[in-house]
Amino acid sequence: MAARILIVEDSTLVTDAFRILFTETGYDVDVAATVAEAIERGTANTADIMLLDLSLPDGSGLEVLEALRERGVPPRATLAMTGHDDAKTRRTCLDAGCSEVLLKPLPIGDLLRHIQRHLG
Amino acid sequence: MSMSDQLDPAALKKRLKALEAQAKEAQSTIDELKSRDSLKTQFLSNISHDLRTPLAAIITHAEILRDGMLGELNTKQRESVRGIVNGGQQLLDMIDEILTYVRSEGDQIKLARTEFSVTEVVDQVRMLNQPLAAKKNLTIERLNGDDLPPVYADRDKLRHVLGNLIGNAIKFTPDGGRIWISLSPRGRNGEELLVEVGDNGRGIARDHHELVFREFAQVDASPSRPHHGTGLGLAIARRLVELHDGTIWVDSELGKGSRFFFTVPLDAPRE
Repeated sequence: MAARILIVEDSTLVTDAFRILFTETGYDVDVAATVAEAIERGTANTADIMLLDLSLPDGSGLEVLEALRERGVPPRATLAMTGHDDAKTRRTCLDAGCSEVLLKPLPIGDLLRHIQRHLG
Repeated sequence: MSMSDQLDPAALKKRLKALEAQAKEAQSTIDELKSRDSLKTQFLSNISHDLRTPLAAIITHAEILRDGMLGELNTKQRESVRGIVNGGQQLLDMIDEILTYVRSEGDQIKLARTEFSVTEVVDQVRMLNQPLAAKKNLTIERLNGDDLPPVYADRDKLRHVLGNLIGNAIKFTPDGGRIWISLSPRGRNGEELLVEVGDNGRGIARDHHELVFREFAQVDASPSRPHHGTGLGLAIARRLVELHDGTIWVDSELGKGSRFFFTVPLDAPRE
């Protein structure tokens, strides 16, 4: 069965591009644009990988991870995607249980490698 | 004005009142300007941030095409799509530079100090810039620095400064030129580290030595200038060095290459 990626990101421009990228590379893709939607999607279908944008219209992306953990359905790995490459953001994400913090946008080759590493 | 006028309490009171009113007015002008400046900074920060998202989508789509995920491209098509990726990447770098600048101006940058070897960071930045230098047949050497004490500083910020100086050296040194980095302790008790990034490129005229560190300043700011950029790189570098209580300056003459120097205290108090 194909691995499932949950993309949590409020820009449809970005999710449209990611949907193509991950569908073409053989993943099952799920998309959520808000914290509420992400918790719902992530609970209905446990994701293998969650790509998590930190700033969402209704709150912080980290709230999604917290809620999914509380419900006992956390993704196998959560990769936080942030535009700020600072030590504080990094620490906050790792403390919250993210497996990795990626500075977006990163080249698709790198992104795919990071995902494969967490699935391997 | 006679002596008696000057000492007339009523006249003095009147003058005092007038001065107070002037001071008040000046203060309100300062407040107004400060608030406008901070609005502008906020605007610049928001707009830069909002520019990144659609640009990221453009780059991702172009990479998907370039890598043949939606079908193999012919050579010309691939060449064209590569142009989109490279152009997008360049634009992204410029936006990031503006964001870094805005954050450093707004005092939003805090140093995360650790103990590390500057020599190692220099080698990393050299490696990172090697492909770019190779394209112009430039050499980047580190002349010394194998047995220096560690610094207590913000590693990412110093890497940024070195990246900027080496990047500029690559940009402004003609094909086949030479770039070097020299590291040496300085001061009576070796209390600071002096870092030099030198090149034998085109150099900078003496009256432009101050200008190059000023924000938005470019020695050649004409639309037809051969080297484009935000004009913020060295202003950011200066800000980051000053956050470390160091100084940055340039020694250069037109046609005789440039030597950029900055210092980092070696005796910064450990937290």
